[in-house]
Amino acid sequence: MFKKKGRVSWHGVVGLSVLLSVLLACVTIVSAQEPQVGVYVNSSEVVVFWDPSEGFSNEVIVMNNLYETLVRYDSVTGEFTPVLATSYESSADGLTWTFNLRKGVKFHTGGEMDAEAVKFSIDRTIAGEKGAFYIWDPVESIEAKDKYTVVFHLSYPAPLDIAASAAYCAHIFDPDNSDRDWFYEGNDSGTGPYTIESNEGNTLVILKQFDDYWGGWEGKHFDKVVFQWVPEEGTRRLMVESGEADFTQRLAASELEALRGVPGVEIVSVPSFQNLLALFNTAKSTDEPIGNPLVRKALAYALPYDDVIEGVMGGYARQSRGVIPFGLWGNSDQVKQYTFSPATAKVLLEQAGYPDGGFKVVLTYVAGDENERRTAELWKSELTKLGVELEIRGMPWEAQVDLGAAADPNDRQDILLFYWWPDYADPHSFLSAMFETQPILFNFSYYSNPVFDALINAAKEKALSDRQAATQLYVEAQNILMADAAGVAIYDMSSMRAVRTSLKGYVDNPAYTHVVFWYDCYREE
Amino acid sequence: MTAYIIRRLGLALVVMFGVSVLTFLLTVIVPSNPAMRWVGPHAKLEQIEKARIELGLDKPVHIRYFKYVANFLRGDWGVSIRTHQPVLKDITTYFPASLELIIFGMFLGFAVGIPLGIVSAVRDGTMVDHGSRLFSIVGVALPTFWLGMILQLVFFKQLGLFPLAGRVAMMTRFTAPIEHITGLYLFDSLITGNFTAFGSALSHIVLPGITLAAYPLGLSARMTRATMLEVLGEDYIRTARACGLRERKILSMYALRNAIGPVITVGALTFAYSLVGTFLIESVFTWPGLGQYGSRAIISVDYPAIMGVTILIAFTYVVLNLLVDLIQAFLDPRVRLG
Amino acid sequence: MSKRLPRTVRLILKNRLTTMGLSVVFLLVLIALTAPLIVPFPHDTAETHIDNRFLSPSSQHFFGTDELGRDVFSRVLYGSRLSLQVGAIAIGLALTIGVPLGVVAGYSGGMLDEVIMRITDVFLSFPPLLLAMAISTLLGPNLVNAMIAIAIAWWPWYTRLLRSEAISVRERDFVQAARAMGASQGKIVFRHVLPNCLTPIVIQASMDFGSIMLTSAALSFLGLGAQPPTPEWGLMVSTGRTFFLTHWWIVTFPGLAIFIAVLSFNLVGDGLREILDPKMRRKRR
Repeated sequence: MFKKKGRVSWHGVVGLSVLLSVLLACVTIVSAQEPQVGVYVNSSEVVVFWDPSEGFSNEVIVMNNLYETLVRYDSVTGEFTPVLATSYESSADGLTWTFNLRKGVKFHTGGEMDAEAVKFSIDRTIAGEKGAFYIWDPVESIEAKDKYTVVFHLSYPAPLDIAASAAYCAHIFDPDNSDRDWFYEGNDSGTGPYTIESNEGNTLVILKQFDDYWGGWEGKHFDKVVFQWVPEEGTRRLMVESGEADFTQRLAASELEALRGVPGVEIVSVPSFQNLLALFNTAKSTDEPIGNPLVRKALAYALPYDDVIEGVMGGYARQSRGVIPFGLWGNSDQVKQYTFSPATAKVLLEQAGYPDGGFKVVLTYVAGDENERRTAELWKSELTKLGVELEIRGMPWEAQVDLGAAADPNDRQDILLFYWWPDYADPHSFLSAMFETQPILFNFSYYSNPVFDALINAAKEKALSDRQAATQLYVEAQNILMADAAGVAIYDMSSMRAVRTSLKGYVDNPAYTHVVFWYDCYREE
Repeated sequence: MTAYIIRRLGLALVVMFGVSVLTFLLTVIVPSNPAMRWVGPHAKLEQIEKARIELGLDKPVHIRYFKYVANFLRGDWGVSIRTHQPVLKDITTYFPASLELIIFGMFLGFAVGIPLGIVSAVRDGTMVDHGSRLFSIVGVALPTFWLGMILQLVFFKQLGLFPLAGRVAMMTRFTAPIEHITGLYLFDSLITGNFTAFGSALSHIVLPGITLAAYPLGLSARMTRATMLEVLGEDYIRTARACGLRERKILSMYALRNAIGPVITVGALTFAYSLVGTFLIESVFTWPGLGQYGSRAIISVDYPAIMGVTILIAFTYVVLNLLVDLIQAFLDPRVRLG
Repeated sequence: MSKRLPRTVRLILKNRLTTMGLSVVFLLVLIALTAPLIVPFPHDTAETHIDNRFLSPSSQHFFGTDELGRDVFSRVLYGSRLSLQVGAIAIGLALTIGVPLGVVAGYSGGMLDEVIMRITDVFLSFPPLLLAMAISTLLGPNLVNAMIAIAIAWWPWYTRLLRSEAISVRERDFVQAARAMGASQGKIVFRHVLPNCLTPIVIQASMDFGSIMLTSAALSFLGLGAQPPTPEWGLMVSTGRTFFLTHWWIVTFPGLAIFIAVLSFNLVGDGLREILDPKMRRKRR
């Protein structure tokens, strides 16, 4: 027994030392050529929709490094830069769009990108009816004229280059490798500079360089890119602060505050098209307080806008005017803006027959959204002084929707806090989604007014031909909403990002929300 | 013995059936529209209707239940509404991280708790006893989520001894990647001799490990103390003592051996409880495990994932209970007769 | 019971830890009852003062102020009301479901016993926090539903306890005698079985009080319990979490309150068990 044991351990020692020296060698080799790794920490799941035909949400931050579009839109200069298409033209009537494709572009899966692949990709996206497929609504048919020429035939004139540059549902992929389940197993078949190396449960995605990328790998680039989901804002902030991460977004104001003056970190804040709205239940009977426009106006006057912007958003927002955010056409000084005025609110409540308040309104918000919660708490504090009880209910989004769509309007919430942002730079959805007469989907104000409906649809039709007239119609429509107090937009948000100053080459492009095009970036201390 | 095993197995099966029905009922009554979540934000009405049919939500409840069970047994636990990945795949991705944390924490807890319990029992009524009893009660009374944050404040912010969150340092993934064998980083890195990664993983697990250890520590100390006191009061111990056997020998030969059974039981139960404890701890330490997956699932009403995680935890509990009972039956004939 | 009481009190007072726990519990109850009168900022349950946000602890704000300028000290004191309420109501509900079922199962035996106990087994297969989380999501998150959820997760413990007690009582001489004398079943249960189960119920309930407060805090922490701006301790820890590395006091004090409250209830429960449980006492050296 003892002898045997002794022999084994002798072998073991030799084996172990050999193993150790080999491993040590490996470690030294690896550390000798330490890879350049770019790290992006994200506030939500990194990717949910792995199929490029289904993109709809935050996955764009990864997808735009795996896949490419025909052209890219620079929303600051308003220009299009060539990507997979080297040039394009539209017919005079705007019904035919011809794209000339780049030659010699390889998919990660091996094949060459050509006109058939473009046609297949867009056709598949349209047929799938998922995600943002409707950006292709004007397309009647797609024709692969020759190997490197694609022609889009439209049913009505539309700026197709905008659709072709969209952050989602405009990506070109390999027709031979386009099985949905295969995508969802964490594979990709794009033409982009990076390709998937590994994926841990959609929360940690690592990309590596695609050797045959058409742009080549001359110059400085990252070898690998990491996308990680870190829900805790404090942790995300500290990762950037310590240099463990290069980029993060959606930080709370308090975190940005903590980053101010930290060397090596830059706070990037640009106005976005996203705003927070309080939608009032206009469908309740007029016996109910919220059914009374006077009460709704009083509520709007009781909201401490400045406190919210300072105390909740740390100044990284501005009070909305109307429901269309600043910077988007349709926003105008001519639209009425509610201000914080408890005295006015008091008078309105008296007129409505509630001189001392004495009623309760229920507000719902998405549980876990700290900005919504704090906004509601500030509002409650002011309403309490007017004798109005605000019941705040944080609910999962699903449950919130369910309550909001209850059969009897009187069973629904009184106020619903809600974010809206446009799918592309167009104001129409701000008015149609939440206020147009329709089956309840996002119209949680339950607003229904034929005059309003007619106005916004007239504006939509004139959007391209007569922008000024369209703007005027949107102004009129918004003033109707404000007069009826169907809802009130509280603030227009700015993006709140923290970026390492050593990350060079990063340019914010609002058309690609939160996207970093890692190929353009490199690190320089 | 065989009869006992069969009866006990039968009982476990009945309970598992009940668990599956109860879980299914809970998730079915949830007043929510999973289809809406499935298609993502800004979806059109027709897309949602399509998703409802795709998800089989248009079928009656009992059909859905039987379909679920049939699929479940085949290893198809449904597709998560939130992640769009098969639930079983998600669970196998996240489980090793939690397992590692639980093993580490429970080991820590028991290594401190059991000796504490013994000392407390032997020195019954003294200050030592009071001290260790207080310590064990503290372990059970600490809100884990709060304890985790306090540890972060002290050991990360003030002292800078341990990292704030995560499982391994970001760059370690590239400079010393951990080979995936079991998914337990400490184990995998150790047996492949990857000491850089081992060190990183160890420093990351210390704080969440201590947080998780608090409950098993308190529980095992209390349980050990109680059973030891019981055993020490038995007649045969008194006899042994009267016979002049040395106290140390009495302790190790008789008392400990008899006290160990209940402690094993507690260990098994604590494992299932710790699985739920990770719901809170992992959220504090951004630990990419089943707990974080589970609590996210519950908060976003992701019913296939809720069902998967709940059934998994309940089944773990039932199976561990079964094993404990069977082991005790082997050790102690009174159990199987009674 | 009544004859034993003075002795019990004496025993409690002899045990220092239990005494300590008991005094804290009394203090908590006192604070809860008088909270509106004694807190420095009674309106801060809901009233915000944005200019005072993030003030660190001082002589004016003992525990500092939170992200909306509310006095943390006042809110923590107010929180005692909620925690005690949740504990008491949830235990009450659990007892209301669990005790009758346990007595029926134990006293009647047979098929009914079998069915009740299997249902109990199913519920006991879920760790209580998990079941409470699921039910709370289902009912919609608020404090009342959290209490119901906790009660649904807890009743089986009492059923199991009561069943075994009922079985042992059933066989005792005085019950046999009562039955022989033709007393009705209901009378036997109420007169003889239940009173004899009282001690184990009291012990178990006092032990559970702390665990239930802890569970309710955990539910609120996960967003499945109390709703803002309720000064519930778990919720306060949860909402303060975003800032805890930069403003430690917002999280530390409410968490400490949970800990102290749970600890003192556990000490009392533990002490009561040692003193009242005849099994424990007999076995002592």
